[in-house]
Amino acid sequence: MKKWIQAFTALCLMLTVLFTATLTVHAEDDSLQRVQDSGQLVIGTSADFPPFEFYAGEGDDQEIVGMDILIAEKIADDLGVELVIQDMEFDSLLPALETNKIDMIVAGMTPTAERRESVNFSDIYFQTFQNIMVRDGDKEIYDSIESLAGQTVGVQTGTLQEELAQQIPDVELMQLSNINDLILALETNRIEAIVMQGPNAVAHAENSDTLYTFEGEFELDEQDQGSAIAIRYGEDALVAAVNESLAEIAEQNLTEEYLATAGEYMAQDSDEGFASKYWSYFLDGTLMTLFISLIGVLVGLVLGFILSLMRLTKNVIVRFIGSAYVEFVRGTPLLIQVMFIYFGVGIFFNLPALTAGIIAVSLNSGAYICEIIRGGLNSVDSGQTEAARSLGMSKRQSMRYVIFPQALKNIWPALGNEFITIIKESSIVSVIGVGELIFQTRIVRSASFEGILPLIITMLIYFIITFTLTKLLNYYEGRMNHD
Amino acid sequence: MISVKHLKKSFGKNEVLKDINEEINQGEVVVVIGPSGSGKSTFLRCLNLLEEPSDGEIVFEGTSLTGLKEQDLNQLRQKMGMVFQQFNLFPHMTAQKNLTISPVQTKGVSQQQADQKATQLLQQVGLGDKLDAYPASLSGGQKQRVAIARALAMDPDVMLFDEPTSALDPEMVGEVLNVMNELAKSGMTMVVVTHEMGFAKEVADRILFMDDGYIVEQGTPEEIFENPRNARTQNFLAKIL
Repeated sequence: MKKWIQAFTALCLMLTVLFTATLTVHAEDDSLQRVQDSGQLVIGTSADFPPFEFYAGEGDDQEIVGMDILIAEKIADDLGVELVIQDMEFDSLLPALETNKIDMIVAGMTPTAERRESVNFSDIYFQTFQNIMVRDGDKEIYDSIESLAGQTVGVQTGTLQEELAQQIPDVELMQLSNINDLILALETNRIEAIVMQGPNAVAHAENSDTLYTFEGEFELDEQDQGSAIAIRYGEDALVAAVNESLAEIAEQNLTEEYLATAGEYMAQDSDEGFASKYWSYFLDGTLMTLFISLIGVLVGLVLGFILSLMRLTKNVIVRFIGSAYVEFVRGTPLLIQVMFIYFGVGIFFNLPALTAGIIAVSLNSGAYICEIIRGGLNSVDSGQTEAARSLGMSKRQSMRYVIFPQALKNIWPALGNEFITIIKESSIVSVIGVGELIFQTRIVRSASFEGILPLIITMLIYFIITFTLTKLLNYYEGRMNHD
Repeated sequence: MISVKHLKKSFGKNEVLKDINEEINQGEVVVVIGPSGSGKSTFLRCLNLLEEPSDGEIVFEGTSLTGLKEQDLNQLRQKMGMVFQQFNLFPHMTAQKNLTISPVQTKGVSQQQADQKATQLLQQVGLGDKLDAYPASLSGGQKQRVAIARALAMDPDVMLFDEPTSALDPEMVGEVLNVMNELAKSGMTMVVVTHEMGFAKEVADRILFMDDGYIVEQGTPEEIFENPRNARTQNFLAKIL
């Protein structure tokens, strides 16, 4: 037990030292040079936020558009580089910036005092206002902050609006990370109102007959009033360059032009049906989900095989390492593992989100597959080993010719189940912006202003995949039992 | 052929074999009897080191098995056939494959040669028509006969039988004992743990009576069955005969 604690403490210490070391060492400010050398300006955004950033287009040609994107394009143009957009959950933006996944955040972000503690901000490029969104039928009842006293109000996690909502007397908050989920909650009477950024609220209300929005008259700090671009501390050269572009935008009053363009995109309601317009998203997402799961199971199989051998060997240290790995991975949520690999390990190696996601899923499934293999081997009667050994077979020979072939019979179905589990669990990699099924669903919900329909479709897709696989497995399991 | 010197075996705090000294000679059929829990099976399993002795020495054909390297032990085990109570046939292989897998893999016998020998051995135990049968399709008595043939396929110098008929339905005991009988007549050295007193009387050259981790008494079948000297032997025989 003591050894365990020592080892664990040592590990924690090592990790802490490594991390603080890399985080506190600041190189000289080569930020501007770096971006120009790479030829790319990578911005992070959360594209469920019209008119600032959202998906629009026809059928397959959906892309992220909006005022923020136009601003980012202008900045990229001024720097003479290409604009690259990474879409992720709003919550993940700050960690992504701090771990160098992106160069800046352009996501209608308000430079609150709290955020200023961790990142630097450009000048404010858009003076905004804060709205309250209610159901159209309730607009007579709820018309002010006070009228919402004691009610349940929705806010997006980690946003300025989350703080502002506290100004409603005795308010109960429902915090969700996705605006579309909030609107769905409002439409289905789960909450009475949403505190939303003004232009975003107006955009949604204009696209819906059932929503109504009005300005909230919250008490605000002067600096909380606008949107700005977040950039890492120590990258003042980049901030200066951005501010230059922003000044030009302000001078020429380009924001109004940008907003108008964004509005046109939103008004582009084609006659196409939902299915024909968005099916390619579901297809892409499904293929990506299957791809991640398949790689996860295959790599996990190799890893699990090695781990199970480690756990069966006589060498105490090797066995300890194997057991510790399996117990640790099985004892922590996949969500944390995904974020750790992407953001944590990403400090040392710049892993693309998909790679990080696949690595996390594989490492995770390796631990479970190890236990499947071990369980399969243990399920073979000990008399089989005894018979093999008494015939003079070596350990390796009895494992190979006698134990393993029999264990496989138990391992195959369990592996199939693990594959099905991974198909469902891999949805977690959507938090770091991997375009699997859940992520694509989010895009469809954002682009279509449909709250529930995409969820139903996605649910059906998952069910069809897992149900078919289960049936297939049962079929093969039945056939294997013949002998 | 097998010398057992001061053999002791404990499972945790439970001392199963306390001090066993025994000599098994070439061509001898030794039957071990005794109440359950007396250590008979453990004694037998120590002979080919399926159980590792806690203390003492096992010498087989001049080589001490205890403290032997894994590889050398495997080679010696090839000369000690073992038959189990639960048969322990390999369920994923046909009867013939059960017989050939070890000769081919451990002794480098060609598959063709091994197949021929397997056919002949299965005929010998009366199962010439079951070459391609999987164990699941065989009766208990048939399984045990395949198991005996499997052990014989390695050309062993000695055969160890661990209660070979205890898991069988009564009507199948005879067919297995017959095979063992034939084997004994052919001059095979055998150590048999069994409750079949009829077999012991008829086939054994020597009977060991074990109780509480010791060999309490030994002698010819006549000596043990007609005229047991030890009170515990008398007590045991009174209960089962």
